[in-house]
Amino acid sequence: MAEHAAAAAQPAHGGGHATVKTYINVAVALAIITAVEVASLYIPGIPHAILVTTLLAMSALKFFLVVGFFMHLRYDSAIMRALFVGPLLIAICIILALMALFGAYILLPRPIL
Amino acid sequence: MSEHATTHAAHDPNLGNTGLDHRKMGMWIFLGSDCMFFGSLIGTYLAYKGKSLSGPTPYDVFNIPLTSYSAALLLASSLTMVLALAGLQQHRIKAAAGWLLATAILGLHFVLNQVYEFASFALHEGLTLSTSLFGSSFFVLTGFHGAHVTGGVLWLLILVSLAWRGKLDARDYTKVEIAGLYWHFVDIVWIAIFTVIYLIP
Repeated sequence: MAEHAAAAAQPAHGGGHATVKTYINVAVALAIITAVEVASLYIPGIPHAILVTTLLAMSALKFFLVVGFFMHLRYDSAIMRALFVGPLLIAICIILALMALFGAYILLPRPIL
Repeated sequence: MSEHATTHAAHDPNLGNTGLDHRKMGMWIFLGSDCMFFGSLIGTYLAYKGKSLSGPTPYDVFNIPLTSYSAALLLASSLTMVLALAGLQQHRIKAAAGWLLATAILGLHFVLNQVYEFASFALHEGLTLSTSLFGSSFFVLTGFHGAHVTGGVLWLLILVSLAWRGKLDARDYTKVEIAGLYWHFVDIVWIAIFTVIYLIP
């Protein structure tokens, strides 16, 4: 009976999930990364390019931790992954294209007109 | 057991030809399109960054401690959301309802912080939607995100209400999982906004 009930609670499409312990570990990692992100703003003397690159890398790591573990995409089917990653890549291309069109730069200093 | 599960899956009207739940697939498609929506808004903000002719700059108005607190609220709400899902999976309906309620409260707190931030920008800093390119692109981007969070809070409260009335159980796992996907999405959008808009100098 209990086995039957447990089966009913499982998604029928085969997507697996992380354990509660993994969820908590991921949450702790997210909290630490966020604290480091914010703290890095208050450390004087970090070169602009290094600061921006580090902030973007930490943000990307947080993004993929949430998508992979909390949204279970790490355990989900390839079709689900493609449905999200494809448009995500297009969104990144949109951002880069708009920045290039308008001459906006994050890493490099702005050209003097 | 596996035969039973196969039979159960075969009769599930929510499974399409791919063997995947079409409700969940629909949510992923929606989230993919929403990615492009927010990508356009973030790109527009970055394109206009530093090009305002007048008005306060981001460095004049941003309250990083408050925004960091808001970011922590949303990250915490992602944890409570997955704990709700885990509770439902383990047939602990009351615990699941409690975690869902906690998620909604954290989300509501985030929205209230945003209302406070917007009000202080408008009343104390003189920054509105029509003040400058910065004002327009900032309020449109963060306003749409706030609207998404508000929609998510309402969705979560509906689920809590269903659970309290005994109309939500472990068989509704996918319904809660789909709400969770939406909720985590607003979290990852905020992860991007927080870094790109608030933290990058």
